[in-house]
Amino acid sequence: MSTIDQDFVVEIASTGQVIEIPAGQSVLHTLMFEGFDIPFACEEGVCGTCLTGVKSGEIDHRDQYLTPEEQASQTQFLPCCSRAKSDKLVLDL
Amino acid sequence: MFLKNTWYVACQSHELTDKPLGRKVCGESMAFFRGPGNQAAAVEDFCPHRGAPLSLGKVCDGKLVCGYHGLEMGCDGKTVAMPGQRVRGFPPVKRFAVVERYGFIWVWPGDADLADESAMPVFEWFENPQWAYGGGLYHIACDYRLMIDNLMDLTHETYVHSTSIGQTEIDETPSKTTVDGDKVVTSRFMHNIKAPPFWQMALRANDLPDDQLVDRWQICRFTPPSHVLIEVGVALAGQGGYDAAPEHKAYSVVVDFITPETETSIHYFWGMVRQFKPQDAALTEQIRKGQGAIFAEDLDMLEQQQKNLSANPQRALLMLNIDAGGVQSRRVIERLWAQEQAVMKSNSAQGAA
Repeated sequence: MSTIDQDFVVEIASTGQVIEIPAGQSVLHTLMFEGFDIPFACEEGVCGTCLTGVKSGEIDHRDQYLTPEEQASQTQFLPCCSRAKSDKLVLDL
Repeated sequence: MFLKNTWYVACQSHELTDKPLGRKVCGESMAFFRGPGNQAAAVEDFCPHRGAPLSLGKVCDGKLVCGYHGLEMGCDGKTVAMPGQRVRGFPPVKRFAVVERYGFIWVWPGDADLADESAMPVFEWFENPQWAYGGGLYHIACDYRLMIDNLMDLTHETYVHSTSIGQTEIDETPSKTTVDGDKVVTSRFMHNIKAPPFWQMALRANDLPDDQLVDRWQICRFTPPSHVLIEVGVALAGQGGYDAAPEHKAYSVVVDFITPETETSIHYFWGMVRQFKPQDAALTEQIRKGQGAIFAEDLDMLEQQQKNLSANPQRALLMLNIDAGGVQSRRVIERLWAQEQAVMKSNSAQGAA
């Protein structure tokens, strides 16, 4: 992994709900625990099933699915493994 | 227990067509296929997607296409493509070093990065018009070392092959075993004996009388990991035996490449090369059929022996003077195996550091 996990928050764009993502727990699992139904399969950044749009914030990409160009665009990420460099990501959910 | 960082025969070249071939060697399940330029390749027989055997698929444009969901595997064990998927993050499967030579596809079942083509055995007779080769493949459910024992002690011919190459003079004539580094040689020379049926046939095929007394020889040569080459022949008695001029003898080399499949099963590549009438394809086929029938007689004995040994692992076996060749061959294997284990241990310790 590229960096040590840190706490951050995600904001759900459609509702304004803010959810804390603790270190050591994925965005995907946290959102599922909160009742979000996000499709997923590999849970290791390979398959792309959980691809989710990002409206703002700086993503820490940790997947092997997106191309470097797609990662650089900072508009989508894989919540099964990727995290945030900023304190907050606003998700297109 | 087998050596893994060494070359084994995996299959005969003609077995690997435009379709993949699944074969286990030294406990490793492998999928063989012909990659770009028809070059033989082998990868783990395990699709990284859902674990299907890749050998159940097909070969398209030099790639091995899984028969379950179409994953395309390259010769290096990396996924090349898959319909509807991005494969960049797919984990690789093991690749095996492969060389096609002498009409066989050879594989190095250990660490592919250690594979050393210069360590392949060299044979003068393959692809040489002065020699003719015919052979085949048997699958036998026995420890490969039982097959080595069998080939390094030919007194069994008298009993297992009594109607073709066996005769009591084999038992009555002591053999001599010598060890030279990793090579073990067990030889036996018989004089003024009657030629058994197989050798009568060979004498006739070489335009020699089949009803005269002969000198007969058997020189069994073991080399690691599990090759046994046996010089065999008969010469009309009094013509110099093993050293007789070619016109007085019929002789050949029995070629045995023994490839462990599991601890208790083998792929046994048997064959014979000869220098008399090498262009006679019909004779090659006749000898091949004859040898195939004779060697098939060992199958049941070896498999039942293995069953007995597996059911009685605590029982010690007798090692007699006739077993010296097998005993020494096993010592060579055990010594090389200990060396290989030490290298693997130090490599993995370095890898962990």
